[in-house]
Amino acid sequence: MAQALFKQKDYWVKSACKMCIHSCAIRVHVQDGVVVKIEGDPNDVNNRGKLCPKGQSGIMRLYDPNRVKTPLKRTNPEKGPGVDPKWQPISWDEALDIVATRLKKIRQEDPRKLLVSINDFHRIHLWGWGAMFGSFNYFSTVGQYCGAAYHPVNGTLDGSFAAVNDYAYCNYWIQIGGGDGFSSHLHVAGSIKRMAEARVDRGMKVVVVEPRMSTGAAKADEWVPILPGTDRAFVLGMVHVLLHELNIYDAEFLKIHTNGPYLIGPDGYFVRDPESQKPFVWDAVAGAAKVFDDPSIEDFALEGNYTVNGVKCRPSFQVIKDTLKDHTPERMSKICTVPADTIRRIAKEFGEAARIGSTIVIEGKEYPYRPAAVNYYRGAIGHVDGGLDSAALKLINIIIGNIDVPGGHIGVGLDHRLLLVEPGPDGMLLPQPHILHPPYPFAGKPYSFQLMEWYPIGIDPGHLSADNVLNPEKWGFDFKPEALIIEHSNPMWNLSATDKVMEVFRRLDFIVAIDVVLNESTEWADIVLPDHTYLESHLLVDIEPPVITGHVYRRPVIEPLYDSRDASDILTDLAERIGFLPEWNGLMNIKLFLTGEYQLELNKKYTNLEMMDRMARSIYGPDKGLDWFQENGHATRYQKPEEMYLPWKGHRIPLYFNFFKEVGDDLKKKTEEAGLDWDTSSYLPIPVWRDTHPLHNLPGEYDLYAFAFKETLLNFSESTTIPWINEAMNNIPIHMGVLINTKTAKAKGIKNGDRIRVQSPFGEVIGMASVIEEIHPQVIGMSNGISRWANHPVEKKTNTHFNRLLPADVKWTDGMTGHLETSTKVKITKI
Amino acid sequence: MAKTMPLVGEEFVAGYRLQTEWATLIAAAFFFGKIGAGLFLMSLFTDSSVGALVGLLIVLIGKGGAHLLYLGRPERFWRALTKPGTSWVARGFWAMMVMMVSGALFLLAEPGSGVWWAAQIIAGVTAFIVAVYDGFLMNSSPSIPLWNTAMMPVLCLFYSLLGGTSLTLFLVDFGLTTVTIEETLLSNLEIILLVTNLIVVILYLLSMTNGTAAAKESLRLLLKGSFAPAFYILAIGVGLVFTLFMAYFIGVAGGAGVVALITLADLIGHYFIFFLFLRAGVYAPVLGKLTL
Amino acid sequence: MHLGMVIDLKRCVGCQACTIACKSENGTPPGVLFTKVLDQVAGEYPIVKKKFVPVLCNHCQDAPCVRVCPTGATTKREDGLVLVDHDKCVGCRACYVACPYKNRVFLKKGALKTGYFGGNQMTPFEKAKYPKWQEGTVVKCTFCVERVDQGLDPSCVQTCPADARIFGDLSDPNSKVSRLIRQRGGYQPQPENNTEPSVYYLE
Ligand SMILES: Nc1nc2c(c(=O)[nH]1)N[C@H]1C(S)=C(S)[C@@H](COP(=O)(O)OP(=O)(O)OC[C@H]3O[C@@H](n4cnc5c(=O)[nH]c(N)nc54)[C@H](O)[C@@H]3O)O[C@H]1N2
Ligand SMILES: Nc1nc2c(c(=O)[nH]1)N[C@H]1C(S)=C(S)[C@@H](COP(=O)(O)OP(=O)(O)OC[C@H]3O[C@@H](n4cnc5c(=O)[nH]c(N)nc54)[C@H](O)[C@@H]3O)O[C@H]1N2
Ligand code: SF4
Ligand code: SF4
Ligand code: SF4
Ligand code: SF4
Ligand code: SF4
Ligand SMILES: [Mo]
Repeated sequence: MAQALFKQKDYWVKSACKMCIHSCAIRVHVQDGVVVKIEGDPNDVNNRGKLCPKGQSGIMRLYDPNRVKTPLKRTNPEKGPGVDPKWQPISWDEALDIVATRLKKIRQEDPRKLLVSINDFHRIHLWGWGAMFGSFNYFSTVGQYCGAAYHPVNGTLDGSFAAVNDYAYCNYWIQIGGGDGFSSHLHVAGSIKRMAEARVDRGMKVVVVEPRMSTGAAKADEWVPILPGTDRAFVLGMVHVLLHELNIYDAEFLKIHTNGPYLIGPDGYFVRDPESQKPFVWDAVAGAAKVFDDPSIEDFALEGNYTVNGVKCRPSFQVIKDTLKDHTPERMSKICTVPADTIRRIAKEFGEAARIGSTIVIEGKEYPYRPAAVNYYRGAIGHVDGGLDSAALKLINIIIGNIDVPGGHIGVGLDHRLLLVEPGPDGMLLPQPHILHPPYPFAGKPYSFQLMEWYPIGIDPGHLSADNVLNPEKWGFDFKPEALIIEHSNPMWNLSATDKVMEVFRRLDFIVAIDVVLNESTEWADIVLPDHTYLESHLLVDIEPPVITGHVYRRPVIEPLYDSRDASDILTDLAERIGFLPEWNGLMNIKLFLTGEYQLELNKKYTNLEMMDRMARSIYGPDKGLDWFQENGHATRYQKPEEMYLPWKGHRIPLYFNFFKEVGDDLKKKTEEAGLDWDTSSYLPIPVWRDTHPLHNLPGEYDLYAFAFKETLLNFSESTTIPWINEAMNNIPIHMGVLINTKTAKAKGIKNGDRIRVQSPFGEVIGMASVIEEIHPQVIGMSNGISRWANHPVEKKTNTHFNRLLPADVKWTDGMTGHLETSTKVKITKI
Repeated sequence: MAKTMPLVGEEFVAGYRLQTEWATLIAAAFFFGKIGAGLFLMSLFTDSSVGALVGLLIVLIGKGGAHLLYLGRPERFWRALTKPGTSWVARGFWAMMVMMVSGALFLLAEPGSGVWWAAQIIAGVTAFIVAVYDGFLMNSSPSIPLWNTAMMPVLCLFYSLLGGTSLTLFLVDFGLTTVTIEETLLSNLEIILLVTNLIVVILYLLSMTNGTAAAKESLRLLLKGSFAPAFYILAIGVGLVFTLFMAYFIGVAGGAGVVALITLADLIGHYFIFFLFLRAGVYAPVLGKLTL
Repeated sequence: MHLGMVIDLKRCVGCQACTIACKSENGTPPGVLFTKVLDQVAGEYPIVKKKFVPVLCNHCQDAPCVRVCPTGATTKREDGLVLVDHDKCVGCRACYVACPYKNRVFLKKGALKTGYFGGNQMTPFEKAKYPKWQEGTVVKCTFCVERVDQGLDPSCVQTCPADARIFGDLSDPNSKVSRLIRQRGGYQPQPENNTEPSVYYLE
């Protein structure tokens, strides 16, 4: 079928974009075998014909003459930035043979000697290749730089992976450190459209809390400048105002849908009925404790102090209220620099906009209507104590009763499974902190360089790998890495403490990379295996679409240009040659949701095409194989109201995050038993401000905060190899240099365009000053667009890479979630 | 407090933008056009056929050559005659062609004959057009307030006459031609024209101070910004003040060397003042003012 | 019929999808941008405002570029599109300087030789697209005439994720563009130049 298509002189074909981690539906115009245009698929409900600039520029990725065209072998043994590897093209057979021989030997000796860096967001099913090999190492980041402190908290709250405010009904949208609807995070192209409709057509009010004027802040009704790493203070100040000054909270919601009425004892645990072990609540009418699901309860008390069976206790709502009594706007203001009056005003506007008590009827069903919500992402929670940041940002939503209700803060699933709603203990939802992969079993002696075994809630803190490879004695590692496999990843760029990461690269004997265009990391490879680009390969993709669900179908729009192969096929081939095909097929059966007759036989080798077909049929039915998708394009649809709103099937969600406390206490016990000095103090059921935060306790000479950011033009920094993107970026001030406020620059004698040295306690970079008005004066910002140094001829090699300024050790990692501190403090000087 | 919009280059920032497309070669074409036409006109006035010939050649080779060099598609130059109804480029081109043909006829025809008279009149009129049409051309760009003024053609005319006079004096002093009027008359004319030009330039600049913000930005660039040194030294200092000084205090009495120096200085000033007017052209920001 | 565009500054998020969509539709060489989105910043911290201002050829109804063109290469069509016939253009750039919005670009010699990746690495895409252009001539936004003639929206309009660009018939009082201009007080850029742009902005 594809062949017949390619024979035509002029055709349009549907496929899916992959110029960022998301998956907008596209249609591609091919004339005389040449791709001449990529457009959004107007019939798709997700992006509705729209593409962002990255999506528009896919042609220049496909036709980049610097693509890897054949398997390559390094002939220059010297490795380093700027060094020419002197590639020699070799055959697939030779290349796979070299790789398989090396890795097989390692696998036999000790599979833990393999570092793994597989980041392909579109093919999350490939991530477990290392684990099937036998190595639990992860030497990269997709988690600890963005979602470690986010996804587990979402999963614990309502079984979601991500979350976003309700584009269709929200009227008052507070956005903190995230680009949803404007520039980044979930499905930018479709989200910008939804946001524009909400803002302009419905008059939704937007308040953006950011250290710099992001796109969102520029479009917002109000920009609230803030210091990095202090968003929790801002938000808890607002919670204080709502609970202690305005008395605005959704009592009804908290009583029915959360554990707000559960009684908490002095130890922080639920007070339980000795017989049934069920948590107690207080029935305000009966004036007695009853188990939470006692049908006779007339009114759940949210407030008050009680004594039950001799134990002093309070409803968890009361505990939260008491805990946050000292988080006054005045105190929080000193931390975050947002004036107390502003905190008060915004809390009031937010609380009033929530219209607590109101309802709305959608498709015949009545729901609570809470058209105010706080949305946030990486900027807000990418910090030590990020788990608490995230919990605080949930808390402000929960108290006004807006979780998963129209107008509020809506959970987004990782894929077509949507929210993972399963019954958990105590009448609550089962916490789902591990949607990406199961937790690593605890062990007193670490077996993964990223120490995942000690972050039971977190997402692989890959940044710890470098530190642990270089300092094995710190936590008692008795093995050393020898080789690294990279697929769709750039660990040298994406990890913090760049210099340490480079040192690890230097020490490795063997690196194999699967890539399309070489980056900072894959340039160091010994063998490079060329992947197809997205316009040349098959895939069913579905990653974090808000509002929408279902798969888009990526398919080749032309014959592959070069001697490349699909990364899935490459990894299958390697699994076979190294000798773990059965394990690999077993993983595919789970990760591709294969069922019944479509399950793979463990000892048989399957192509990616076969696997995708089986996946399609498993999910959509026997008659919906890939040929159906070729005919119809995509299987996307709007989520039904009952899938989005109140999807918890009668279970309660946490107001009080007892799960965090339970996991933390358990970990504390285990680590103590193992004789480890491990800090579990951040596993708190209630988010509070903690003055111990290392970021805010750096020596005073580092007088400015610093952070990195994305914008719509950029996918991380990899789109800077695309000349159209690069051209635009080179002309936009925020991507031209290190952003510094005019007054700060003046005080330091720095002018626009000056070369400056930026020093943190952990590293330094040289850059060019881009002096602007629209950034907090105590902060400097660095676009990902100025961070590259790879040999690719297109990108500008400024090498002002923010990550070089960041640390990468346990102290700088959020104890609860493994999130890295992604801000730092710096001093800058003119050179 | 709203800050003023910045002057920007190609970056994606709203602000004033410099005109960069018409520079050296167009300035050269304007320059040769004006001095050539000026010399031709002076020669008609002073009855110098050598002057007329040189004038024609300057226009043909200097102006024509510079234009051809500048054109993106020189082989299609003739197409530029298509739209004299609306286009000053076409009008100028027509004027130049007619000036060439009639000027040549004028030089070849029997003096006093009907053809000679007719050719002389036509050549004179078209030379006048060649001398001033740059002014209209610039004036017809609504985009650049520095140019979009009725003063432009006036400036062109006076500069053309000044250039013509200087060149005539030069030809005379080097014995390359004879003229029917007194040399002192010529040199007095030169002084008068220098003073007039100085006054016209000042009036022009003064008129710009009441102009739009973009005009003021141009003026700032000329008088205080990056073009100021060239403007003060080359355009005004060398071109008008030095020449006036030399012409007034020494003049033709100083001999051929001095006349050559005056002519050179005059031409330098002439070239640079229009070059700078071209370069200092500033476009207004697409969406006017900054608002909060 | 009078085709025109309305640009809603309230919607525009400065994403530059339009800028790139135009590149991909038209295959323009490096440095040639028929449209782009400008940052416009006003005020002082913390009271700062930033606007994103998309700019492109306004297809002026009294277009100076048409008036000054000596060859008739630049003309205005019945439906208001101002177009350049590259076969007629001599590259005098009178239009370039006359355009008050600086929306024209001159294709220098060699502009079509290298492509975006430099060297001898012209991509198949560029090879397919470049024959449409001629060195030594002036080019500009065509309102995507080939698309518009097929009844499609221009590429920049089609892609705009914010729907900040709306295309339609200004002479039809019921068209979306006319209604938006009426209801939201749409205004033309630099009205003082009396060029009668076919592009309107909404605050
Ligand atoms: N266009 C685009 N979209 C993307 C991606 C991409 O690369 N490009 N990547 C995808 C991935 S993997 C991720 S993780 C998401 C990331 O999506 P986002 O989290 O939305 O993006 P970032 O730009 O990393 O960070 C968001 C904002 O946080 C601000 N910020 C930094 N520090 C702080 C702080 O301490 N407090 C506050 N309030 N703000 C702060 C930055 O200025 C930035 O504007 O986007 C996904 N979508
Ligand atoms: N300074 C800074 N550091 C960051 C971030 C930041 O915003 N600023 N963001 C952080 C976040 S949130 C994340 S998730 C990570 C992401 O970090 P990475 O996952 O490393 O990011 P990418 O740049 O998307 O992907 C890496 C490489 O994949 C290759 N690639 C592209 N397309 C294909 C393909 O089709 N097939 C194959 N096989 N390879 C391909 C390219 O060489 C690209 O450089 O970075 C983190 N690090
Ligand atoms: S948001 Fe991502 S998937 Fe969608 S068009 Fe942009 S790059 Fe492509
Ligand atoms: S595509 Fe639309 S939203 Fe994006 S910059 Fe262009 S006009 Fe603005
Ligand atoms: S915007 Fe400029 S190029 Fe376009 S029609 Fe108007 S004057 Fe001509
Ligand atoms: S450059 Fe071409 S289009 Fe422009 S005025 Fe000259 S001939 Fe006309
Ligand atoms: S209308 Fe077409 S040619 Fe004009 S800017 Fe938009 S995409 Fe480019
Ligand atoms: Mo991420």
